[in-house]
Amino acid sequence: MAIMGTFAFEEDFLAAAEKLQSSGFDNISLLSPVPLAEAQKVLGLGKSAVRRFSLAGAIIGALAGFALAAGTALVFVLPTSGRAIITIPPFLIITYEMTILFGVLFTLLGFHVVSDLPAWRDRPYLPAANIDRFVVVVEGAAGEQAARAEAIIRQAGAEEIHHVEEDQ
Amino acid sequence: MFDHGQPSYAEVNKDILSVMLETGPRYWMLLGTTMSVAVIFFFMPWFYQLIVGVGAAGMSRNAYWGTYLSNFIFWIGLSHSGTLLSAILHITNSPWRKSVYRSAEAMTLFSLMTAALFVMVHLGRVWFVHWSFPIPNQMGLWPNFRSPLMFDVMAITTYLTASSIFIYMGSVPDFAAVRDASTGTRRRLYTIFSFGWRGTAREWHTLGWAYTFFAVFVIPLAVSVHSIVSWDFALSIVPGLHHTIFAPYFVCGAIYSGTAGIVTVMYCLRKFLNFERYIGQVHLDNLGKLLLALSLIWSYINMLELFSSWYGGSSFELEALKFKLTGFYAPLYWEMILFCAFVPLLMFFRKFRWSWNKMLLISILINIGMLTERFIIVATSQPRKFLPNAFGFYFPSWIEISITIGSFAIFATMFLIFIKWVPAISIYEVKETLKPLRRDA
Repeated sequence: MAIMGTFAFEEDFLAAAEKLQSSGFDNISLLSPVPLAEAQKVLGLGKSAVRRFSLAGAIIGALAGFALAAGTALVFVLPTSGRAIITIPPFLIITYEMTILFGVLFTLLGFHVVSDLPAWRDRPYLPAANIDRFVVVVEGAAGEQAARAEAIIRQAGAEEIHHVEEDQ
Repeated sequence: MFDHGQPSYAEVNKDILSVMLETGPRYWMLLGTTMSVAVIFFFMPWFYQLIVGVGAAGMSRNAYWGTYLSNFIFWIGLSHSGTLLSAILHITNSPWRKSVYRSAEAMTLFSLMTAALFVMVHLGRVWFVHWSFPIPNQMGLWPNFRSPLMFDVMAITTYLTASSIFIYMGSVPDFAAVRDASTGTRRRLYTIFSFGWRGTAREWHTLGWAYTFFAVFVIPLAVSVHSIVSWDFALSIVPGLHHTIFAPYFVCGAIYSGTAGIVTVMYCLRKFLNFERYIGQVHLDNLGKLLLALSLIWSYINMLELFSSWYGGSSFELEALKFKLTGFYAPLYWEMILFCAFVPLLMFFRKFRWSWNKMLLISILINIGMLTERFIIVATSQPRKFLPNAFGFYFPSWIEISITIGSFAIFATMFLIFIKWVPAISIYEVKETLKPLRRDA
């Protein structure tokens, strides 16, 4: 079962999140209509792994770009006034473009992997979280733990509390 | 930042989504008009040209490039608006961009698509377009990666891909807002579009990082795209085109015309979609200052181009310069100087920067000037190479003029469809500029 607490004010929402975190609830989600740096800090989110995807993509793209241009020149040889078949300056432009293309595509992949999207199942959510409310979600809590989580959320000043079956 | 008082978070959702979810007869009439103009002025003449051959255009043996390519450069140039506003202003953390960047990104995407259409029109036998892609074919004809035209293919496809991803990723939280506000098929569709976005701290955190990386990738990409477009000309040895200043000249001109395009689009969004509350005086003023700075850089580069042609002393260059300044197309050249170098100086005065109507007029004049600039580059150089016996003359045919007019209708059609599928203003980023939902706020 998931417990969702709705808050009208940012500081109440963050207080609830901090209290839940310090009380040992580690399966919490913090939903907000805008990005909140403080909420990310509460969850201990530092540098994102997306950057590794971007770097890997850029390196793969650079190698692929140069290989494409050089490989093509070797397969279909176009001799021009005795100049080199593999000509570095123009091929660096192809390398540059492919570095960016693969960097962007891998960043996209990184976003999906790290944020766990697309979501293939319904997860606890309230549409108000996309308008003007902050929502704390405690997932996988049952029995006494659930009651404790609810008490913390209520104490922090939640407007409403919802109980949701997680496999809805 | 808000001219008519700060809206609440819920009002931001309501105002921006109502443009998408409520459609009146005026919208359908406008869409019908732009689509009809696109079909009649663009697609029908193109179809005629496909039947009778590319000779229907005004190009001839000494003038292989014409209006199609100058329009291609113009539309590519217009596409630089989104990159500037969205990526550069994102990296430099300028909050005023937040109300205007989504439409600027859409401009980027649709301008690129329109530009790509002009390549197709110019090709003649468009069904062989796949020959330009880096895939081997049955004739063993592989693309030559030493040609600037191949640089173009790589740069523009990369730019198109990156801009599509850039605009899509920035819209994911807003797609979730549309999902929550709609029912039936639209809801199912936006559930897919939003990937099941909930707005968790982890999702925001990842999106923030990814978006910054997209911006970091897109800025050098945009600079490379227009530099490469300039090399289509500058890497030739044609007098009037063979200038090392061409890459910065093209990049500056692109950002200039793109920013002017944003002012035009902002005016329309404000006027016809009732976004007065979100697109205010501060946006107009900042865009005006940006335009003014760009116009000065553009004028400086233009002077440099004239100076290097004159100072170089090459008789071919001097002849090209003389033709540009005093030849058949000289009135167009001086029109360009008037619209792009002198008219923007009016923006030194606040009463011009603060007036929507005056800024609309200035922005349109700048883009007329920029369209002319691209035409002059193509029409006054290539047909007048070196010896007089090789001189030709280029004048656009009615088909080219019609297709040029039609391209604006294609762009407008795509934009009108866009505003019904994607929130034209970023909902969550506008909320970021409001007072936070705190007790002490």
